[in-house]
Amino acid sequence: MIRLGALLVAIIAACVSARGEDLIVALSTRDVAITSNYTGAEITVFGLIERDARAVARPGGYDIVAHVRGPVGEVVVQRKGRFGPIWLTENRSRYLSVPLFFSVLSSRPIKEITDETLRARLKLGLEYYLPPIPPGKEEAEEHDFRAALLRLRARDDALSVNEKGIDFIRPNLFSAHVRLPAKAPPGLYVVNLTLLAGGVELKSAQAGFVVRKAGFDAFVSSSARYEPMWYGFFAVLIAISLGYLANLVFRRD
Amino acid sequence: MPYEPTPSHNPRPSEGEARGAMQLYLPIAELSLNLFLLLGMGSAIGFISGLFGVGGGFLLTPLLIFVGIPAPVAVATSSVHLAASSVTSTLAYWRRNALDLKLGVVLTAGGLVGTLLGVIFFNQMRKLGHLDLVITISYVTLLMSVGSLMFVESAGAALDRHRGRPPKPATTGGVHWASRFPLRVHFERSKMTVSLIPLILLGAAIGFVGTVLGIGGGFLVVPALIYLFRVPTSVVVGTSLFQILVTMCAATFFHASVTQSVDIVLGLTLVVGGVIGAQFGTRAGQALKGEQFRLLLALLILIVGVRFASDLVIRPPEPYSITLQELER
Repeated sequence: MIRLGALLVAIIAACVSARGEDLIVALSTRDVAITSNYTGAEITVFGLIERDARAVARPGGYDIVAHVRGPVGEVVVQRKGRFGPIWLTENRSRYLSVPLFFSVLSSRPIKEITDETLRARLKLGLEYYLPPIPPGKEEAEEHDFRAALLRLRARDDALSVNEKGIDFIRPNLFSAHVRLPAKAPPGLYVVNLTLLAGGVELKSAQAGFVVRKAGFDAFVSSSARYEPMWYGFFAVLIAISLGYLANLVFRRD
Repeated sequence: MPYEPTPSHNPRPSEGEARGAMQLYLPIAELSLNLFLLLGMGSAIGFISGLFGVGGGFLLTPLLIFVGIPAPVAVATSSVHLAASSVTSTLAYWRRNALDLKLGVVLTAGGLVGTLLGVIFFNQMRKLGHLDLVITISYVTLLMSVGSLMFVESAGAALDRHRGRPPKPATTGGVHWASRFPLRVHFERSKMTVSLIPLILLGAAIGFVGTVLGIGGGFLVVPALIYLFRVPTSVVVGTSLFQILVTMCAATFFHASVTQSVDIVLGLTLVVGGVIGAQFGTRAGQALKGEQFRLLLALLILIVGVRFASDLVIRPPEPYSITLQELER
């Protein structure tokens, strides 16, 4: 009975807060084209917190947590170990459907924004990038593998945490920059924003952008994928004709 | 127990503009590299292949992997470069009539079978996740053994010449082991009568190794023809180049259609650099004496072999590595 009451209160609270503020998101681009001189891209996220008459005063100000997730893929982490005189892969750990790009941006450290219960429920922060460790796995070893995965992905700029990544221009207007490295895979990227105040979730919003190969590069990679025979034939033809051309240009007899 | 990673802070503002417009995006490798770096690598390999008359694949593939190209793309794309450069040099030898076409065709017949098997093996190993290990171990074994053999042989010859001893006469023709098998055929240009079986097996082995490692295999064919079959040196290089030309065209085609990891943009850039480098290499090569030349090549092969071996033997600074596989879109 008490639990039901608590649930009811929570629902009412959610409804009230949902009406109080609204979160509007805009991205600087929805479409990132990979062309021959592509070196990565920077996407700017703009957000507006709209307050209506019902919105209560937020003396602590607003907090924003943004997650940017790229297309998912399989990640395999290998560890080398010593076998006699040589170093070989001794163990590996496989992670299915992990976002191949992941970035967490927040207005201040997430741990200061809200408590562990809400972080776990909303999956806020880097802790929830990988699925929980399944039972039966050796935990200590699995931690090492996961730490290595995070370290290596961060080194390639495919994983980042920026606790000052959300800039409030006005108390209800903010922006954030997402830097995509050239190696970030093509596909759909989703930006999830969560608006919080006083450690409570108020509203969330979502926006997406697409990274795709364009022009010549798109043509090359789609031919390689869908017309592999023709692509191979053409590659051989190019090799032979360039070799022949070089022979004509540089012949000395 | 909650999982506590160390957060990494890398708020790097726009660095994209600073890197300049000379970056070239490679659509199959899916990364961008400096255009001049690629052209420079192509011409360096071209220079060496012009200098020594080898394809240079055994240097090119490791170099591509070293600058960050995924191993499958590096191996497959090297075959484009090798096909193009062997067209140029085969034509040059053809015009000088330094080519045994009949022998070349026989080797190629075996080579095509080997190439196809190589691509299938390559694809299987990639699926099992052992490709990098297979490539490393094969490179070490191959380069170290061929390099040491060549080094000992050429150092011996150089010493002999230094002491004023006449070089050992190269025996050609005559009856030897390779003519004891059935299916004997006479090769006029090479002045020999040998069975087709060992020749086809040699071609198949070279095709297989070449496809898996992204090398032409010239540094294997040439010594094999000289020492095992006693083919005259005058036609060996031309014939080997002809075999490499056909095998590498086939490797390009098979790689493109089976493993889909041939990057045409990367290949083109390397070929353009390679063509220019090869011209300078050929000129430089004319100033070298035979055994000096073999000694230098042996050293080069050994250096690459040691480099690969050190990867296996030295404690890796980072014991972990990751591979990514995008899911089907």
